[in-house]
Amino acid sequence: MTGLIWVLEAVLLGCLLVYRWTDLRTVQPAWAAWLLIFGAGAAGGIGVTSCLFFVCGVLLGSPLAALVLELAAMAWLGYECLRRRAPVAQTSAETRPVALPWIAGGLLLALGIATAAMAIAWDLNAQGNWDAWAIWNLRARFLASPAGLAERAWSPVLGSFTHAEYPLLISAFVGRAWAFSHSVSTAVPAATSYVFFLALIALAAGGVTVLRGPTLGLLAALSLASAPPLLREVPAQYADVPLAAYIAGAILFALLDRPILAGILAGFAAWTKDEGLLFLLLFLAATAIFRRRTALATCAGALPAAAFVAAFKLLLARGNGSLLSSSLPGASHRIFDVSRYGTALAAFGREFIGMASGWYHPILPLAILAVALRFERERRRDMAFSFAILAALLLGYFGIYILTANDIVWQLQTSLSRLLVQVWPALILAGFAGLHAPEAAAIVTRVAESRVRRKARA
Amino acid sequence: MALPHSLYNETSIMARDREQVRYPARIVAGVAAAVLFCLGGAFQSYGLESAYQHQSPDPYQISAQFVRFAPVLSAVPENAVLGYVTDAEPGSTVDSALLLSAEYVLAPRLVTRGTNHDWVLGNFTRPADFAAFGKSRGLRLQQDCGNGVVLYRKEPQT
Repeated sequence: MTGLIWVLEAVLLGCLLVYRWTDLRTVQPAWAAWLLIFGAGAAGGIGVTSCLFFVCGVLLGSPLAALVLELAAMAWLGYECLRRRAPVAQTSAETRPVALPWIAGGLLLALGIATAAMAIAWDLNAQGNWDAWAIWNLRARFLASPAGLAERAWSPVLGSFTHAEYPLLISAFVGRAWAFSHSVSTAVPAATSYVFFLALIALAAGGVTVLRGPTLGLLAALSLASAPPLLREVPAQYADVPLAAYIAGAILFALLDRPILAGILAGFAAWTKDEGLLFLLLFLAATAIFRRRTALATCAGALPAAAFVAAFKLLLARGNGSLLSSSLPGASHRIFDVSRYGTALAAFGREFIGMASGWYHPILPLAILAVALRFERERRRDMAFSFAILAALLLGYFGIYILTANDIVWQLQTSLSRLLVQVWPALILAGFAGLHAPEAAAIVTRVAESRVRRKARA
Repeated sequence: MALPHSLYNETSIMARDREQVRYPARIVAGVAAAVLFCLGGAFQSYGLESAYQHQSPDPYQISAQFVRFAPVLSAVPENAVLGYVTDAEPGSTVDSALLLSAEYVLAPRLVTRGTNHDWVLGNFTRPADFAAFGKSRGLRLQQDCGNGVVLYRKEPQT
């Protein structure tokens, strides 16, 4: 269980980094600022410590150096944060949220229910689902091993099922906690996945609150905290929930006009999964088209993690074929096979419907609010930016299914539900970000208190 | 023009106003329905997920593999590369699950199909004459660890 300390340490380090180096602490309301700091800090801290461990612990063979650097950075950042007083918060415009305590209570209740369901899975299925032990945690065990055996994490000997060419953010982070604690605890990958889930909820609540007000912020978080496909993936210990958090975080910070932070999270998406690499390219392209002013800063934020991915793919794991490279022979034949398009389209439709749990489909809350609140014209550009990225990403996934040399039915059955989980939170947040804020429709009347008292007495 | 809200309320000589905020029924109904649907969905999801987990706990018996392979962990050094033989139908889900779970439990040792290594792991689904199975592939039975796990050494070539 000591491994959990190192998960929490990474989260704390990330929060200190975000607090010290960004202006998120000045965001109003203050609780939204803290949620954004936690969300970005947890996701960013896991990314930063994963990279640090990969360089010091794996490539240079000294996990101790990574540990010392982390602790030194944390001590310095802690001192800096205490020394520099936070600027006085600006007074925010008066908002009149709709039944905020009730929605907040609902969110906490939903989080409690979700956590209780996950606890059952952690107890009964501690090693996670197939890919957890066949890919992510297996590679983490190599990375945590002493005496120069870590490079086995990307050895071609592992075989195609283990995908030795996949990026290593999650495996390196889990391996780091195992190496630092000298124990291989199943609590570490489970907690890592759960922290990403909480970070995603915090980003949704904080980000949408700043964009569209507290009512929609909490409702967005609530709709994610009760989304069955997302909840199912958290205890699976795969890399899809972390990727979903990075995708949603990058888009949210782009909308919040924090391009460096958006770029950093998009870069970490690429260091998490191959799909994240596609997301990074599409995100940068969309930024260049829709938000040209911030394109350079976004690229600068994404550069370090993107360089990591490039170095890993081109220098270390170059002996391993990727899904794309193995799909190229015979691709021209498959592109013109019309039946494959039908199969893939039908599967996309089936999986979308299959996101429901019994009578509840996670699109319902957004659909209801879209009818009740309607979309705001002034938010069209933000929505176009978000939906263009996500639509292109889904189109890219669709293209891979058409191209793949694997049996398309098997490929769709084993992966499509998870790919939808990667984009679902960002889709929901983009939808919420385009709605009319309910606070704007408040009808305020001022009544003299004496009249109210008279009325009450009568 | 009305005074700023805070000044107006904090000035005792002036009559205090109470602010009454109402929302159109459409918005209240929409927000309430969204919250109720989400909570209903959370309960629904909990029920189904809990039933599923109780129905199929650890479907590939990964936790049990740590017990099965414990003798191999103590007998084979961490830097070893092990060959791998099995009686599972090649290409089946059982075959993949057996190999990948062995790789996971035995890491950082590498496990790779075939008999071209000094150490070879036998991972069997049913009882058999493991010594004869190995002999036919040029392997000497080193240790029968039980539960279908067998450790072979490659026979020196004559």
